[in-house]
Amino acid sequence: MAFLQSLNLAHIPPDLAVHIALYADVQNAPFLRDQLLQGSPAFEYALIDATVILSTTHVLAAVFRAANDHLNGRLRSRNVHSEIVFSLGANNNIAQSLRTFGITATTTDLLAIKLSTNPSITASTVSEHLAASVNGTPVEFSDATLAKMADGGKIRKLYKLSGVGEADSKGKRRRKDGSEEGSGGVDGIKAGSTGYDAERERKELEVAILGLMALRGAV
Amino acid sequence: MIALGLEGSANKLGVGLISHPAKGGAAHILSNIRHTFISPPGEGFLPKDTAKHHRSWIIRLVKQAMKEAGLRVEDIDCICYTKGPGMGAPLQSVAVAARMLGLLWAKKLVGVNHCVGHIEMGREITGAQNPVVLYVSGGNTQVIAYASQRYRIFGEALDIAVGNCLDRFARTLRISNDPAPGYNIEQMAKHGRHLVDLPYAVKGMDCSFSGILASIDILAEKLEAHRGQWKDELTNEVITREDLCFSLQETVYAMLVEITERAMAHVGSSQVLVVGGVGSNERLQEMMGMMARDRRGTVFATDERFCIDNGIMIAHAGLLAYEKGSITALEDSTCTQRFRTDEVFVKWRE
Amino acid sequence: MEITNNDPPQPHPLPPPFTHTAPAPTLLTQGAEALLYRTHFLLPSHPCALKHRPSKPYRHPVLDKRLTKHRILSEARTLVKCRREGVSVPGVLALDAEGCGDAGSGGWMMMEWVEGRTVKEVVVEAGKRIKERGGGGVWEEGLRALMGKIGRALGRMHEVGVVHGDLTTSNMMLRPSPTSLQNGTTFTNGAEGDGDDAKSAGESLEGEIVLIDFGLAAQSLQDEDKAVDLYVLERAFGSTHPEAEEGFQEVLRVYGESYKGAKVVLKRLEDVRLRGRKRSMLG
Repeated sequence: MAFLQSLNLAHIPPDLAVHIALYADVQNAPFLRDQLLQGSPAFEYALIDATVILSTTHVLAAVFRAANDHLNGRLRSRNVHSEIVFSLGANNNIAQSLRTFGITATTTDLLAIKLSTNPSITASTVSEHLAASVNGTPVEFSDATLAKMADGGKIRKLYKLSGVGEADSKGKRRRKDGSEEGSGGVDGIKAGSTGYDAERERKELEVAILGLMALRGAV
Repeated sequence: MIALGLEGSANKLGVGLISHPAKGGAAHILSNIRHTFISPPGEGFLPKDTAKHHRSWIIRLVKQAMKEAGLRVEDIDCICYTKGPGMGAPLQSVAVAARMLGLLWAKKLVGVNHCVGHIEMGREITGAQNPVVLYVSGGNTQVIAYASQRYRIFGEALDIAVGNCLDRFARTLRISNDPAPGYNIEQMAKHGRHLVDLPYAVKGMDCSFSGILASIDILAEKLEAHRGQWKDELTNEVITREDLCFSLQETVYAMLVEITERAMAHVGSSQVLVVGGVGSNERLQEMMGMMARDRRGTVFATDERFCIDNGIMIAHAGLLAYEKGSITALEDSTCTQRFRTDEVFVKWRE
Repeated sequence: MEITNNDPPQPHPLPPPFTHTAPAPTLLTQGAEALLYRTHFLLPSHPCALKHRPSKPYRHPVLDKRLTKHRILSEARTLVKCRREGVSVPGVLALDAEGCGDAGSGGWMMMEWVEGRTVKEVVVEAGKRIKERGGGGVWEEGLRALMGKIGRALGRMHEVGVVHGDLTTSNMMLRPSPTSLQNGTTFTNGAEGDGDDAKSAGESLEGEIVLIDFGLAAQSLQDEDKAVDLYVLERAFGSTHPEAEEGFQEVLRVYGESYKGAKVVLKRLEDVRLRGRKRSMLG
């Protein structure tokens, strides 16, 4: 429980603090899911299956959108927490997004998010409640941890983004200017390290996802 | 110098007499009279009938203008007439009259571009120095700015003119054409409250109106078919003919203001001059004013004497050219339905 | 008659939630319908661009909301499509097409920040250097390579069915590639012995073309629309960089080879040149 992170998102008033905890090896997903389905007020969280989360930016972008819609009185789902899960989706189908990104009975990597929608919700109340409710190993909420949990193939499939930033079927990497790598573009320099390539690939996928989340099916 | 101006490119026949003081300064309007051919409700003005109207009225109007101005034939320096653009037959009937007077009185002729006439008269009356010009009438929709001796067209209607769109909708509703269909639509629009959805067709600085006309015609049919039982979804109030006029105005004028604003941003101008018959619409002027205020700019508009087609603007623009030595030889004194604003070499401006 | 405006002009307030952003977004440009700011995304360390389309008081509120929403989404849609298909454009980070309040705050879109300079600035600088040094040399070669990149970028955009609608050299950025920044110069074409000049030419002309400002973009597969797109750029080149008009031939040459169908568009461009952007119409 040491790993609850409380942060303020840029542009969002600081009193609407965001509390985030990430867990591995969660054992009681069915219980948590039931609480959510029953609409138990104590369990008003965004409970997200962390295997479909690419990065901190990915999930925080959804929090940002939900918080903004909350502040403008424009929520489409039950509350700001379900709205976070809905905001991860790339379409207007609330039920589908909750099913896809929300906790399932078999979830073991879990992301729990709570917003201080009133002053009684603080880091310590959230921390305490999560410690008492989630049966799992708290881990750091960071890009590195999320990257280990993320199921890249599944994420690509969810957002229908096969091929973005990825080697295409012919085994060549499509470059942004339309040429193909290996043809010796003017830039000339190869990154050499797979680390750089992987990072670039992940960034490319991330920005594509953010775009689809922003459009929410208005394609 | 004094010029006689004859205008008859559409259904208005205008005769004007203007004097430019030798020492410069503001022009004197000696006479500016007009007679309009008005067709019955539900009908537009046909070229043949309009030409006939012009032929039968031109002599009377010229005589009356000369009398009003207290001028003798020898006071006149040149005879200016509309060379184009406009409707063929009416243009021809006025060009013939100009030629006839030129030969009879032994005066030089000056063929004038109708659009340039509007622009120059607007500048003269309002004192706008170098505005972006929105020229809106039954035959033209153009956003114009001046650059090195030409009035350049930055944006325009790609199909029918905005005034034509309004006139034709007035016909659909069988609204009176007296004094003008657009005027009557404006009065009805004042009583409209519900905005019905119409296409909005702006592309860069260009726009188009035929799709809007087709849509509002369909809505008018729907209104007719429902016999007053078509209700607004939000308020549950009945949609009226007035609502349709209101919606049409709100939509097409928003388009005009938008392309004007884009042109102002493009050329970095803070002045806008609205000319042409549709320019006398108060709602358009009001919307233009709101846009200009946001840009810290100024709107110039003229009243119906100068906005609506008239002879004085032809006299004025023609005289500006004449003073710089431009004349139209008798054998060149033709007219043309197509005559783009940017074809005119503007000798009289820096 | 003059419609004077004695009322003070209303400066456009930032839309929520940016009213309390610290540090406040910096206004970069104000166009006819949008204001562009530099700000940050979710963390102050993540720079981004913010495009605000304020509501227009002259428009009926219902129409205003409809147009704002349509335009924000249309621009975002085009950017997302381009990005997905490998056209280099700023990615969309977030948007709000609805605005809030009865008066309407308009809508906004946050995009990735694009580092680098506009192609306009780069071409002007290269032109100056070439003039100083006479023809040939690294600057001229670099400029030529840059023109080729522009042609390829445009070809790629047209290939995926997007026309920009407002192509100018101000609407293209040259983003230095991260590798060229790390390694200093990577520009090697005959640059040996040219020393510093080659280095500065390399630094200045290296990078990737990023197309920006898709406010007037549309999805189209029509040759006519693509040809008009190129024509608009050609005219802009002529007026902004008369000295680089030769360079534009290189843009077209590379464009012509960049995708299937490009040659047909170039053929169409010849027609467009003859008649101008607009088709001739009745007065």
